[in-house]
Amino acid sequence: MMSTIPFKHKMAAHCESGAVTSLLNNAGLDITEPLVFGISSGIFFGYFHKMKSFAFPAFIVRNKPGSIRTNLAKRLGIKFHTEQFRIPEEGMKKLDELLENKIPVAVQVDFFYMDYLPEWERVHINVHFIVVIGKSGSKYIVSDSYFPDLVELEATSLQKARFAGGNMSPKGFLFYPEFIPANPDLKKAILKGAKKACFNMLKIPMPFLGVKGIRMFAKKVQEWPKLARDIEHLSHEIMKINILLEDQGTGGAGFRFMYASFLQQSSAILNKPEWKELSKEMMEIGDGWREISLFAARIGKNRELGQDKLQALGRMIAGRADAEEQFFHRLKNSIH
Amino acid sequence: MKEKDSIVDCPEQQVVLYVEKEDGNYEPVQTGSYLTKNFLDDYKLKRQHLEDSLHQKVQTGEVSPIYYYMILEDLTISELSARTGFKARKVKKHLEAEYFKSLSQDILQIYCDVFNITIQDMLKLIIPATSEPLDTNTI
Repeated sequence: MMSTIPFKHKMAAHCESGAVTSLLNNAGLDITEPLVFGISSGIFFGYFHKMKSFAFPAFIVRNKPGSIRTNLAKRLGIKFHTEQFRIPEEGMKKLDELLENKIPVAVQVDFFYMDYLPEWERVHINVHFIVVIGKSGSKYIVSDSYFPDLVELEATSLQKARFAGGNMSPKGFLFYPEFIPANPDLKKAILKGAKKACFNMLKIPMPFLGVKGIRMFAKKVQEWPKLARDIEHLSHEIMKINILLEDQGTGGAGFRFMYASFLQQSSAILNKPEWKELSKEMMEIGDGWREISLFAARIGKNRELGQDKLQALGRMIAGRADAEEQFFHRLKNSIH
Repeated sequence: MKEKDSIVDCPEQQVVLYVEKEDGNYEPVQTGSYLTKNFLDDYKLKRQHLEDSLHQKVQTGEVSPIYYYMILEDLTISELSARTGFKARKVKKHLEAEYFKSLSQDILQIYCDVFNITIQDMLKLIIPATSEPLDTNTI
């Protein structure tokens, strides 16, 4: 039986930025989740109308899973040890060895097998990140950013979750910080992170990514009735807009509130007063996204899903595209 | 969003939101899920209707129990194929009630591992509502 490694657990807005932040905090680096998110260019948008692995159109509001860790490492000079496994038993054995050596380890899992969460929250999504900090008998001690306290997870569930197949399958992926520079250059990293975020939102030539993706979402959401099985299915999918923007670990408004916090903190670090103004603007943009998520929840619940309501929803989303286009141009112009 | 607008009393599901505090700083607060607090009953109602309608389709031989769980767990043929290791056209066949009858216990177990259920859970679906309870020892 192993003991639990001393580890300060706290909830976070998002699982990946939360896991990375808590590993770094526990290893002695004083950095906040918004800084981790902003430096790694976490803010994003993508709309996927048809994808084989999604049962219904979907959208994302952050960069590719894994990029928060890799971008942050590159920009701050941090080295993470990373490993994947072909054989599940080997992956579990390696985890046990690391825990024996008192190393807290982040692992990638399918969210569906996190038995400690309520059933209605659990969906098959292979890109959830948790930190494992100990083992007691057949159970692992887990720090999950989405849960207020440390929790226990059966070894069989953890193994299933780490080795689930499918789109973006974890293949037992684990990581932990190996080297953290004493004084990382935050200023340079912040500017690089913001610059890349502007590129991602404005310049990627694909029509479904960045600001163009928001516009596509505004247009295509009006076609959703044709794709739904029935009115209750459509209601469920429309209400999922709220889940993806608020409940599924974004810090609210599809990460826009957390990005506002990043800009506010960065304004002080860089001594850039104009970023404080931009942070306020981003908070207002977030308020607009929150209105969208509340509107979606309301019309979904009331089954008010005629073309008039979906057109209204589309207009609200298109409004966010215009606001974000102007915002990211201003942010880009402020980076020298 | 102002801090006062973020407060939701919902101990069943807690979330972290970034809000504007009274001092003007944008900081995290731990609060309850607005959606769970206000709309969980609606989610459960729709879920029950979906379960009932899929169960009906299984009972009338329209679809197999694998189809039932695929839809309930929001998976697709392609995703199920990647998770089970069966080719997509095989999975498509396994969704048919007729073909399902010929599947071995080993194949069923692979699906059950993905759905996180037991074989008994899966087979219960094909027993008519009026039948005796399933004797799990015989499976």
